[in-house]
Amino acid sequence: MSNIFAFAETRGGELRRAALEAVTAARQTADQIGGEVRVLIAGAPGIAVHAAKLAAHGADIVLVVEHDAFTHYNPEALASTLAAGLANNYRAAFFSASAQGKDLAPRVAAKLKVGLASDVTEFAFSGDAVVAKHPGYTGKIVQTLTLKATPAIISLRPGAVLPKESPKAGTVQNIPSAGDPAASRVVVTDTVVGGGAKLDLGEAPVIISGGRGLKEAANFTLVEDLAAAFGNAAVGATRAVTDEGWRPHSDQIGQTGRLVSPDLYVACGISGAIQHLAGMRTSKTIVAINKDKEAPIFKIADYGIVGDVLEILPVLTEAVKAAKQGA
Amino acid sequence: MKIAVCIKRVPDMDVRFKIGANGTSVDEAGLKFDISDFDGYAVEAALQIKEKANAGEVVVISLGADNVQETLRKAMSMGADRAVQLKHDAPVFDSFAIATALAAELSTGGYDLVMFGRMSIDTANQATGTMVAELLGLPIITAISKLDFDGGTVKARRELEGSYELVECPLPAIVTIDEGIARPRYPSLKGIMAAKKKPLETKPAQVGEQRYTLDKMELPAERAAGRIVGEGKDAVPELVRLLKEEAKVL
Amino acid sequence: MSAGHVLFTILFVCALGFFAANIQRLIGELQLGHTDDARWNDLPTRFGNFLRIGIFQEKIFRDSIAGPMHAAIFWGFGILTLGTIEFLLGGVIPGFSFQPYFIAPVYAFFALNQDVWAALVIAAVGMALFRRLTKRVKRLQGAETHPNDPLLILSWIAALMITMFAYEAFEMVAHPETLTPMLRPISFGVAMAFSWMSPSAAAVAHDLAWWTHGLLVLGFLNYLPYSKHLHVVASLPNVFLSNTSGPGPKGVMKPMDLEGDLEVFGAKDVTDLSWKSLLDGFACTECGRCTSVCPAHTTGKLLSPRKIMINVRERLESYAHAADKSTVADRTLLDGYITEEELWSCTSCGACVQECPVSIDQLSVIMELRRNLVLGESRFPEEVMPAFESMEQRGSPWAFDPGDRGKWAEGMNIPTMAEMAERGERPEVLYWVGCMGSFDDRAKKTTVAFAQIMQASGVKFAILGQEEKCNGDPARRMGNEYLYQMLAKDNIETLDKYGVRTIVTACPHCFHQIGNEFPQFGGNYDVVHHSTFIESLLAQGRVPIVQELHGPVRTFTYHDSCYLGRYNDVYDAPRETLRRALPVINLVEMPRSKDKGLCCGAGGGRMFMEETVGKRINVERAEEALATGADAIAVACPFCMTMMADSVTSRDANVQVYDIAEVVAGQLRT
Repeated sequence: MSNIFAFAETRGGELRRAALEAVTAARQTADQIGGEVRVLIAGAPGIAVHAAKLAAHGADIVLVVEHDAFTHYNPEALASTLAAGLANNYRAAFFSASAQGKDLAPRVAAKLKVGLASDVTEFAFSGDAVVAKHPGYTGKIVQTLTLKATPAIISLRPGAVLPKESPKAGTVQNIPSAGDPAASRVVVTDTVVGGGAKLDLGEAPVIISGGRGLKEAANFTLVEDLAAAFGNAAVGATRAVTDEGWRPHSDQIGQTGRLVSPDLYVACGISGAIQHLAGMRTSKTIVAINKDKEAPIFKIADYGIVGDVLEILPVLTEAVKAAKQGA
Repeated sequence: MKIAVCIKRVPDMDVRFKIGANGTSVDEAGLKFDISDFDGYAVEAALQIKEKANAGEVVVISLGADNVQETLRKAMSMGADRAVQLKHDAPVFDSFAIATALAAELSTGGYDLVMFGRMSIDTANQATGTMVAELLGLPIITAISKLDFDGGTVKARRELEGSYELVECPLPAIVTIDEGIARPRYPSLKGIMAAKKKPLETKPAQVGEQRYTLDKMELPAERAAGRIVGEGKDAVPELVRLLKEEAKVL
Repeated sequence: MSAGHVLFTILFVCALGFFAANIQRLIGELQLGHTDDARWNDLPTRFGNFLRIGIFQEKIFRDSIAGPMHAAIFWGFGILTLGTIEFLLGGVIPGFSFQPYFIAPVYAFFALNQDVWAALVIAAVGMALFRRLTKRVKRLQGAETHPNDPLLILSWIAALMITMFAYEAFEMVAHPETLTPMLRPISFGVAMAFSWMSPSAAAVAHDLAWWTHGLLVLGFLNYLPYSKHLHVVASLPNVFLSNTSGPGPKGVMKPMDLEGDLEVFGAKDVTDLSWKSLLDGFACTECGRCTSVCPAHTTGKLLSPRKIMINVRERLESYAHAADKSTVADRTLLDGYITEEELWSCTSCGACVQECPVSIDQLSVIMELRRNLVLGESRFPEEVMPAFESMEQRGSPWAFDPGDRGKWAEGMNIPTMAEMAERGERPEVLYWVGCMGSFDDRAKKTTVAFAQIMQASGVKFAILGQEEKCNGDPARRMGNEYLYQMLAKDNIETLDKYGVRTIVTACPHCFHQIGNEFPQFGGNYDVVHHSTFIESLLAQGRVPIVQELHGPVRTFTYHDSCYLGRYNDVYDAPRETLRRALPVINLVEMPRSKDKGLCCGAGGGRMFMEETVGKRINVERAEEALATGADAIAVACPFCMTMMADSVTSRDANVQVYDIAEVVAGQLRT
């Protein structure tokens, strides 16, 4: 019976949600087609502390690699270790399609010379094949792939599988790194978590953007508050607003500003002129708050609230804070 | 520094695609093609390295049918010195099969640095550059937004979710480029004219065996028409519920 | 023949020779530019311009104060030149006068005019000095100007007049028997003042005044080529040779031959400009009328069209005078004199060209330099890149799916050309919708309104749907001729495929481009702007509108689009459309309207650039519109619509901006 593998991603010694998603996916697969769920976690000595949480999400065995050279992400040593381990009778290996997983999974797949399904939103095991769905073309086309080689390497789009508890033994096995992890050529010298730096509009998964409906510069604090509530949000503005000097020109989203495509775009008091729409209409989910229900922004918004943005924003900020704490 | 940049020809994404008759391709009628976004950043980054050093060579490489020559010319109109087409008429999806062909070409080039976009925006696997590195045994830093050199050492910044890491590796190396590093220049007419005279070499591609099959391409379920959740602040709880449960962005 | 006559003859011949040599030098300098710009076509129009703008000073009179002042000097100069010829011949041929050659009344008229116009010239010169020194009129100031030159010239002119009166007057005192008080009343007055002099003293004074006048005349002639007042010589030829008031459509850009092996793209230096642009430099007298109406300059941007022309002349002189050209190679016109920032501030509104009294074409210099920036060096504001890329990739400056171009027409039962062709039908007109009209939500309302008007009026029309592409105007005006020609040729191919003859469009940029510039590439169509089209439908009674008068009287002000107005002289049709649609309308004009209209700020590709310096042009215009007290503002251009709506609504939410088609559609009988 082949086993199912999951990679437990950490950063700065902390377990990431991506790890739990990978373990949950492995657990569900094992429950369906059989085999043990084996999860590898690597880090500086002491990283084994997270084994319990991995067990709670369905790890039968937790393989722990502890070495000072794993304090930061160590892609070469990890890839070698994983490739060596996965050569032994695994049906599939789950990674998260996170920044780390997208770096690691293709290294492992190439070492094993097997297929990789990247950024997978759905998958199904049937017989000797794995069928996976993978959105491409900026989300405009869904590609369905069949992987036949073993193990099937799958990186999961964050959020595609939600972490779910399913307690198993989670027996800890300490294993060595393949080769000397301190001898890696690629070395991460520092990981700046959060960094305190303002999130760039191009990178932020969430953008809260304000338009003239905010009436004056001072009211942008409401937009900033909402962004802070999300935690991973950047603040943008329309050309009208940057022209008025309420926000710096670098915040402008639109034809003459930044062209963005975040997972969530919240348009506050923005009517939706062509110049603005051109810069944000490819956002995955768009929320619009505007007092004019005829405003063009509602035509492209997934969700709209008609009303006074100054009144709605504080309430939304509180609700988002509450939702974030609950998660 | 001798730099190779591997680029891909992709359709313009700001259109509503149609699926081709075979069900595994995009209907190309009316589509415009260009260098894949991230590959364009890579070309620009390579050109800037060369211009800063005032020395070196930038070679662009693309795998595909003869229509990739147009894409290669575009990169040369930006300033790349020469181009190599790895000719292969049938589409290849599997990153590993593409990586095999590119690795074969790159292994003979004597490059100090090989650059890729972090992913192609059509198939969006983000794997080819990494697989080439594994095949060639070269160190690779992926998805970087800053690139510097300190003697023979690459110093890069890699963007993570809400954070970043600083990464180093020795040359020769491979890097894949994220946005933010450099906005691709707009080719001048002078550049377009010059590109017509630059060398473009065509060789057969040694594409490897495909590790997976592409069974189907389909359009995602139509995005539900936008809806007004409600009026005023009373609509907020319902909005938050939808963001959480339906859109899954919270 | 006296020694004096011999001496004068020698001086006269030398002065003429020197002047001729200088003119030859200047012609040589003009030939440093591109000489393949022939200007001998359509001579009747050119003579017409020469008379209207040159001789009759049409544009000079656009300034009601400086106009009569300059006309006095100009006409005075013309008339006094006849007197000067008599004077010069008198200096060469002893005792020469026109008198024997004409019947008495004619000579009397001539002599009277000499006196009167000389006095007028003195008055005008005094006024000019007052405007420069005391009143310090704003448009006459400016860092780029040469402020001492006009003072010298004005004093010189005054001295010419004074010495003329002096020698005439002393002649009368010296020879009382020749007194002609009625022919030269002013000289006579002066003579009276000096009647105490003895005839012999007056004779000496006469000779002194005569010689001073003679030397001033010959000196003046030869100072001109070294002064900005070369304008005195260059202006009339410039008006004749200019294309800014025709022949041909106004404001068209010259096509570039992109197939040939170009060494320089557009213009980087004066040697890359047309010889005519260099002549423009000679013709400029730094009056500043162009700069005073420039929307960029008047809202605080760096651009000054006057400076552009002064720079052309300065650079040409520096280049031409350098024996070794490599010593001046570094300081080219572009960058050395004119900065990128100045060039990108231009909205191509054409106000400078419209205003110039001597038909200088500032805009073509700006556009040629922009071409070099974009085509040669790929230098342009970074925010322009998406527009360029999108025009190339999607045939629209905005990144919208080309497949959605005809989406506004869904459910309206409007056929595409393709559908009509399939049925073997042909429409009366092709409705060219344009990118704004197709993709911008606000402009789409205009699009729908115009379509409804045509449907209600029984006009058989079709659209191109997704076969339509941007006409390329933004690309061309931003200097990207390569992209422009690509788009123009694609569109012409599509239009010719369907054998299109008549095109109607609600966008003045499409209107100008297709109608006036596509012919450069073999695309010849009758293009009608929707204002003209609707107006004629209304005039023919084809539009079923509500006739009864009800509701309050609405006060409208109409904002002129540059590409409709100044470029194509369509001023009345949109106003007439409003009057016909709303019989009780109160139409008020802004201070700057019709050919003096202020740009909305979006032309010349400015729509796709940031406006960070100075006051925003659309705000300036909105304030002007609101100050009229109008409760609604009408426009006839989707770009103006965006700019005006943006700035008006944030200032006065009660004032609405409408396209004229929306106003008419609102009156349609349902």
